[in-house]
Amino acid sequence: MKKKKLRWGMIFVYLFIGIFGIITVFPFIYMILGGLMSYQETTTIPPTLIPKTLRWSNYQKVFEQAPFARYFLNTFITAATTTIVTLFTSILGAFAMTNLKFKGKGFIQLIFLSLLMVPGEAIIFTNYNTIAHLGLLNTYLGLVLPFLTSIFYMYYLQSYFTAISPTIYKAAMIDGASDWEYIWKILVPMSKGGLITVALLSFISGWNSFLWPLLVTNEDKMRLLNNGLAAFASDAGAQTQLQLAAATLTVVPVLIVYFIFRKQIIRGVVRNDLKA
Amino acid sequence: MNEDKFIQVNNLEKTYENGYQAIKSVSFSVKKGDLVCLLGPSGCGKTTTLNMIAGLLNPTGGDIIVNGKSLLNVAPKDRNIGYVFQNYALYPHMTVLQNVMFPMTVGKNKKPKDEAEKIAQKFMKLTHIEELADQKPGNLSGGQQQRVSIARALVQEPQILLMDEPLSNLDARLRLKIREEIRNLVKEVGITTLFVTHDQEEALSIGDKIILFHNGVIQQDDKGQDLYLEPNNQFVANFIGNPVIDNFDVKVTDKKISGTDFEIPVEKLDSTKFRGDLADGDYTLSIRPENLKLSDEGELSEVIDDVELIGRERVLKFTHAGTNQRALIDLEQEIKPGDSVKFKMNLDRVYLFKPDGERIY
Ligand SMILES: Nc1ncnc2c1ncn2[C@@H]1O[C@H](COP(=O)(O)OP(=O)(O)OP(=O)(O)O)[C@@H](O)[C@H]1O
Ligand SMILES: [Mg+2]
Repeated sequence: MKKKKLRWGMIFVYLFIGIFGIITVFPFIYMILGGLMSYQETTTIPPTLIPKTLRWSNYQKVFEQAPFARYFLNTFITAATTTIVTLFTSILGAFAMTNLKFKGKGFIQLIFLSLLMVPGEAIIFTNYNTIAHLGLLNTYLGLVLPFLTSIFYMYYLQSYFTAISPTIYKAAMIDGASDWEYIWKILVPMSKGGLITVALLSFISGWNSFLWPLLVTNEDKMRLLNNGLAAFASDAGAQTQLQLAAATLTVVPVLIVYFIFRKQIIRGVVRNDLKA
Repeated sequence: MNEDKFIQVNNLEKTYENGYQAIKSVSFSVKKGDLVCLLGPSGCGKTTTLNMIAGLLNPTGGDIIVNGKSLLNVAPKDRNIGYVFQNYALYPHMTVLQNVMFPMTVGKNKKPKDEAEKIAQKFMKLTHIEELADQKPGNLSGGQQQRVSIARALVQEPQILLMDEPLSNLDARLRLKIREEIRNLVKEVGITTLFVTHDQEEALSIGDKIILFHNGVIQQDDKGQDLYLEPNNQFVANFIGNPVIDNFDVKVTDKKISGTDFEIPVEKLDSTKFRGDLADGDYTLSIRPENLKLSDEGELSEVIDDVELIGRERVLKFTHAGTNQRALIDLEQEIKPGDSVKFKMNLDRVYLFKPDGERIY
């Protein structure tokens, strides 16, 4: 009796998950397939789902019509730089907040917490002014500078660091390790899961950034993928199949990252790697 | 340098940020090469004291002098101290060998890798963990982890070894074994050791001397047997000894000590053992259970409530004037619950304490 009830429950759950899965994944699939259709196929009603022939030439046209390779390079450089530097600053900040005692720590923590409430969009124009005054428009430095520190990632790492018993830090001190050595030889290897999560989140958000690069770049050679894509969408006019192909191009690297690191991403979200 | 005062703690005080005074003017000294136990109930300030010596906590008063030099302004990493934590504090991402080598791979005592490995091997051999070299701490038993943490503490050949309840996470049998090992090891290495425990038996069995703490104050700083035989005050008498000491409320009047249903003339006590004038008033008369002997001329007539066997001895439990008391007799003397017996006090071995706990006899 009970078993049967349970079975029905499970069927319902799977159905539910299945429907939402399809709703979530469908646009991706359509984007990929649409990028391989002819123009007619993308615009017919009722819509075509499976293209008759796979038109890989769409991609060739995309690369011919806009400097996507350059966009890729720019995006990679900015995303990688923000990721590496953010990791570094967040590690140091989270370490200080976790293990060091200093005057005004509580106050600083309070300020950080309240800054966490301020959405990035709210300060984007002040940031723009700063970058413009520094003469950093259309430079890589201007693209990455506001994103080299992150209170959110710092707090995220802090939750990993505080999960490490304070006696580990004491033991390291007694063993003669400096704070610097403690960070790189103990803290970092013990928080790998958290660091990978931060790196992934930071890289992905760097890759997907749109508003900020739109503001601080206007030269084609400094554009990032998303802005390039937007510009391309308007330049290419009504060529829907090319737009979809270009969109696929920008998304694929992120998908690859997801695929490679899916275990770490899930682990980072579930947080079960810190048994100690 | 005075070898008898290798470690000198002078009027050490610690008041925590929240205003709680955990250590109130503590002074003691430790002889070079000795294994000294800091003993006391939970919360009495043992860990606090140890952490101040290690430099993990700053004292709010007093001084710590080791080998003639004050440690107060020396950073923990420069104090040349080994510390074994209660929860071992091994680095979980490193193998046993890497854990033991760690102190030699950081800071100013960095050694070339092969040299460090050789030294680590030596101490791993000493602590019998050579075969575990490539294991991660998570795969080890408590006793093995303990040995790793001892090896790691010894590997820099520190001048002092501090151990904070190193055995409390082990099961009873292993505790006995490892405490012997620890004693042999530190004697073999010749390192001056402070060993924190709340287990009196542990302290009595391995300590060259015992410093008994209570409420942030040293109650007695003595050899184990003296703590047992000559307690300084009521707290020490009550804390040391198992089964615990028997306490009787008594009144002193007219050169007589009178309790409920018994009376002892003061002249029967050894007059040289008085530590002050025995004024008339209320006292506690304390006697260890083994000093109550079954005898027909005994002062105490009691009915036995319960009998308990502990090894080769029998504990007789009885109630005197509403409080539970114990007597320790040989296994051969068969006494059953409900039996009426008489106990004679061994008057050479009774103590008299004032109401404030001070010992007067
Ligand atoms: N950071 C702190 N702030 C305030 N009070 C503290 C702090 N650390 C310890 N104490 C208090 O100081 C007293 C002594 O603590 P300590 O840890 O030295 O005890 P202990 O003798 O080691 O006890 P145990 O056997 O339980 O380990 C305790 O009453 C404890 O509550
Ligand atoms: Mg303690």
